[in-house]
Amino acid sequence: MKGFEVIKEMKNLINDNDIIVSSNGNISREVYHLLPKPQVYLRGSMGLPVSVGLGLALANPDKKIIVITGDGNFLMGLGSFVTTAFYKPKNLKILILDNSSYFTTGGQQTVSSAIDFSNFLESFKIGFTASEIASKENIRKDLTEFLSAETFSVLHLITEVGKENLENIPWHPEEISKKIIARII
Amino acid sequence: MIDQEVFISYLESKFQYICGVPCSYFKEMLNYLAEHESNIQLKHILATREDEVVGIASGVVLSGKQVLVYMQNSGLGNIGDALTSLAQLYKLPMLLLISYRGLESDRNFPEHSIMGEVNEPVLKAFRIPYWILTEDNWDTIMTRALQKMEEISSPVVLLVDKGVLG
Repeated sequence: MKGFEVIKEMKNLINDNDIIVSSNGNISREVYHLLPKPQVYLRGSMGLPVSVGLGLALANPDKKIIVITGDGNFLMGLGSFVTTAFYKPKNLKILILDNSSYFTTGGQQTVSSAIDFSNFLESFKIGFTASEIASKENIRKDLTEFLSAETFSVLHLITEVGKENLENIPWHPEEISKKIIARII
Repeated sequence: MIDQEVFISYLESKFQYICGVPCSYFKEMLNYLAEHESNIQLKHILATREDEVVGIASGVVLSGKQVLVYMQNSGLGNIGDALTSLAQLYKLPMLLLISYRGLESDRNFPEHSIMGEVNEPVLKAFRIPYWILTEDNWDTIMTRALQKMEEISSPVVLLVDKGVLG
């Protein structure tokens, strides 16, 4: 499966009380166009979606915070993942869509294949972790288990490269902030 | 040095969260926070890197809450993108306490000397309002910084020299 196909699958698995933080580039664009609005669409700050998600999760213990990040973005902020594993907020969910490439910038290779994600994630003792190849047969089950876990949970999915041609996000970041703050408070 | 008890209770009245990466200039403040953790209202969030701190703080601000950030000025070199493409772009107010390393008292620490020299020009280039926090009138300076932060709904900085907070 391609990343945007996984994102589409989330549509029926999230509700109004959940907040998504999407990583810059294609993933933010896909989340904007394919899932309910508004969410925290990051346009820059490569490497920081996990930390933004951690801040939201700690400040909103009664909301589910779902970070959707690519592998390049996740690797750039790897230290911040260790911090989330230290705090283990049970309302925080991190979905890593791993196509082994910086797809937004033209498909250049990342170094993600150096990690055995299954063992890597398990070593953190954070509750629910899984590493799978994204497949149409299992995606609903994989996402449901990941999103309904009562602990901090991380799902790493190997995806194929590919995207839909979607328009740029029309909202200015200031507008994104205003809409999110209004949603939360 | 500013009295830690007075300083922390001032922070408790303004912020719900504090997040940062340590500097020895903040040692006394951080020791005080650690020793009194159970009866201090501020929630302290640790982090591995300064850009991560700005990311966490951004998540807190997007929740309509107030956060104080602290770091060494070496970390200013790590947060350029976190400021320009996140905190400033998304208009997220946060107060950053940044230690002013590289001044006279650091003359035996060359690792700080260049950032010490470019610290203020870098903040100016980033268009971030800043003040130097001093022991005298510290609360007036902080109030002024917080007013500016609210007015522009963006990060502002207080530079902290040795001996002011630790």
